[in-house]
Amino acid sequence: MLNNSFFYLFTLSLFKNAKRYIAITLLSAVVIFLLSSVLYISGSIKYSFQKQLSLEPDFTVQKRVGTRLVPLNDSIADKIVDIYGVSEVTKRVYGSYFFDKEHNAQIVGIDLLDEQASKALHNILRKEEIKPFLSSESMIVGESVYNYLKSHFYPKAYNFFTPDGKLKKVKIFKVLDSRSALFSANLIIMPQELAKEIVGLKESQITDIALNVPNVDERSNIRSKLESLFFSARVYGKKQMQEAYENLYNYKGGLFLVLYLVVVATLALILYLRYTLANSLEKKEVAIFRALGWSIKDVITLKSLESISIVALSFVLGTLLGYIYVFMLGAPLLKNIFLGRAYEASITLIPHIDWLTLTTIFILYATTFLSAVLIPVWRVAVTDPKEALG
Amino acid sequence: MVVVENLNKTYAVGSKQERILDSITLHIQKGELVLLRGVSGSGKTTLLSILAGLEKPSSGKVLIDSEPISKLPDIHLSHFRAKKIGMVFQHFNLIENLTLLDNVLVPLVANRIGVKEAKEMAFAALKRARIEHKKDAHPNRLSGGEKQRGAIARAIVAKPSLLLCDEPTANLDSKNSQSFIEQLMQMHKEGQTIVVATHDPIFKTLECEHRIIDIKNGKIV
Ligand SMILES: Nc1ncnc2c1ncn2[C@@H]1O[C@H](COP(=O)(O)OP(=O)(O)OP(=O)(O)O)[C@@H](O)[C@H]1O
Ligand SMILES: [Mg+2]
Repeated sequence: MLNNSFFYLFTLSLFKNAKRYIAITLLSAVVIFLLSSVLYISGSIKYSFQKQLSLEPDFTVQKRVGTRLVPLNDSIADKIVDIYGVSEVTKRVYGSYFFDKEHNAQIVGIDLLDEQASKALHNILRKEEIKPFLSSESMIVGESVYNYLKSHFYPKAYNFFTPDGKLKKVKIFKVLDSRSALFSANLIIMPQELAKEIVGLKESQITDIALNVPNVDERSNIRSKLESLFFSARVYGKKQMQEAYENLYNYKGGLFLVLYLVVVATLALILYLRYTLANSLEKKEVAIFRALGWSIKDVITLKSLESISIVALSFVLGTLLGYIYVFMLGAPLLKNIFLGRAYEASITLIPHIDWLTLTTIFILYATTFLSAVLIPVWRVAVTDPKEALG
Repeated sequence: MVVVENLNKTYAVGSKQERILDSITLHIQKGELVLLRGVSGSGKTTLLSILAGLEKPSSGKVLIDSEPISKLPDIHLSHFRAKKIGMVFQHFNLIENLTLLDNVLVPLVANRIGVKEAKEMAFAALKRARIEHKKDAHPNRLSGGEKQRGAIARAIVAKPSLLLCDEPTANLDSKNSQSFIEQLMQMHKEGQTIVVATHDPIFKTLECEHRIIDIKNGKIV
C-alpha cells in the first residue's frame, strides 16, 4: 500500500520537522526513562527478595533471652530431626562483624557435611576450589566487603578480632560476584568451625537452626512443637520473614510512584501534543493534502508513521537509558526512595526485567500517544478541506 | 465533461439556512475554457469546491466525466480528486516546509506514483509553468507570481481532466496577471478543460475562445 513516494514524503516530513520531532522524542524518552527506571528498581528488588525468600527455610529456631539472641546448643538439632514431618534440618552459624563503627559484614559459616550448604557452595565455587577453600583458613567475601578491606590495605587476608581478644588471620579466597544475590555484597562466607571462632561460639554452639516442613498442613502443628522444645525458643516462620522484607523494601511506595508518574507523564504529553496539533499550520497542511487527493486513510497513515517512529524511538531510548542508569550505575538518588539509607550500600540491584509490566507500559504509552496525535488529525481530515483552506 | 443540474447549497448560519448556490445548472464540454464571473460573496469559490469534490452539495446532481462525485465515499472521492481535478487556490496553499518540487509531488503521492517518476513529472510540470529554476526554494522565499506558477504546476502535474482556478490573479500585479493569462491560453490550446472564477477585468484581454458565466447571489444570470 505504501509506495516509495509516500515513504519519501514521510522521511521528508520527519526531516523538515526534525527539531520538533527530536524535542518530542526526547521529552517522551525522559518520561519513559523515569518510568522504566522505577519499574526496573521495584522489579529487581521484588525479584531478588522472592528469590531470596525461596531459599529461606520454612522455619528458623532461635534462642532469645530477653531481646537478645543467644547461642543454641547444637544437640537441639537432633531433637528437631526426630519430629515427624520435618526435613532438611540445618545448624547455622552467622553473625555481624564490625570492622569499625560504621562498617560491618555478615559472617556465615558453612558446614560442608550439611547437604544444602554444600549445594550452595557448589554454586559459588568450582569443584576443584572447594577442597582448598575448606582446608585453609580462608573466606569468600562480597564485593562491598572486599572493597572495604582493600581500601584498608588488606587485599589478601584480614586479621579478625575474636571475642576473647585474639587475632585470627583469614585469607581472602574469592570475591563474590555482586550480581549473584541480593545480600551478597555484605557477606563473608567461611567454614563453620572458623566462623564459630570469630563470631564467638563454642564447639557445641550454633546461632540457629533452619528446617523445612514440606507439608503445609502440618506447619502450625510443628510450629507449636518447636516452640515447646526448650525454654525461650523462638520460632521464626517464612511468612514473618516475608512481611519483614516487604516493610524493608517498601516497594508498594515504588509502585505508587509508577502510577503517579504514568498519570503526570501522559497528561503532559497529551497537553503538549494537543497544543502542537492545534497549530493552524498543521491543520492547513492536512487540508491541503486532502484537497490534493489524499484520502483520510493516507493522512492518518502519514501521521501514524510519524508518531510510531517517535513512540518506538523514545521507548527504546528511554528503556535503554533506564537500564543503564539502574543496573550499570546503580540508580543513584532513586534507590534512596525504595531502600532505606541503611540498606542502600549493601544491596546491589540485580538485572531483572519484568517483561509483562514493560509491555503494559508500552501499550499504554503507545495508545495514549497515538490517540493524542491521531484523534485531532482525524478530526481535521474528516472535515471538508475547504474550510481550512480559506 | 461537467454536468451540473439543479445544484443547491445552503449553509446553516445561526439558526437559519442561508442559500449560497441556487438551482445552478451548467454543462461544460471537454476542452472548454469557462470564466465564472461574479462579485465577492456571490458563491464562486463554493461552486468550484463542489466541482472539486471538496464540499458536498445540499441537493442536485454533479457529474464529472460521468462520475456522480457528490455520492462517492471518501476513499473514492479522494481518488477522483487525485486523478481528475487540478486546483489553483485563491491563496495558493503551498505547504510551507516543503520545497516547490516536493509541493508539486504531493498529488502524485496520492496517485501512488513511484518517487523517481514522480520527481520527473513534478519537474516537467514546473517547466511547463516556467518556474523550474525555483524548484528547491521554499514557498516563503517566492514572490506572489512565482507561488502562482508553483500552484499551477502542482495543479497540472497529475494531468487532470478538469483544471479549476479560484481568483488566480487576485494576488498578482498586472504584469504577472498578464503572464498568467498567456499561460491559460497556452493550456487551453493544449486541450485542457478549465474553469476560472474571477472578478478581475483583466480577463477581458483573453484572446481565445471562451465562455463567460455570470453568477449573482448564487444564481446564474
Ligand atoms: N462554511 C461556510 N459557512 C457559512 N457561510 C459560508 C461558508 N462558506 C462560505 N460562506 C458564505 O457563502 C457566500 C459565498 O462564498 P464564496 O466563498 O463562494 O464567495 P466568492 O464568490 O468566492 O467570493 P470571493 O470573490 O470573495 O472569493 C459568502 O457569503 C460566504 O460568507
Ligand atoms: Mg472566493
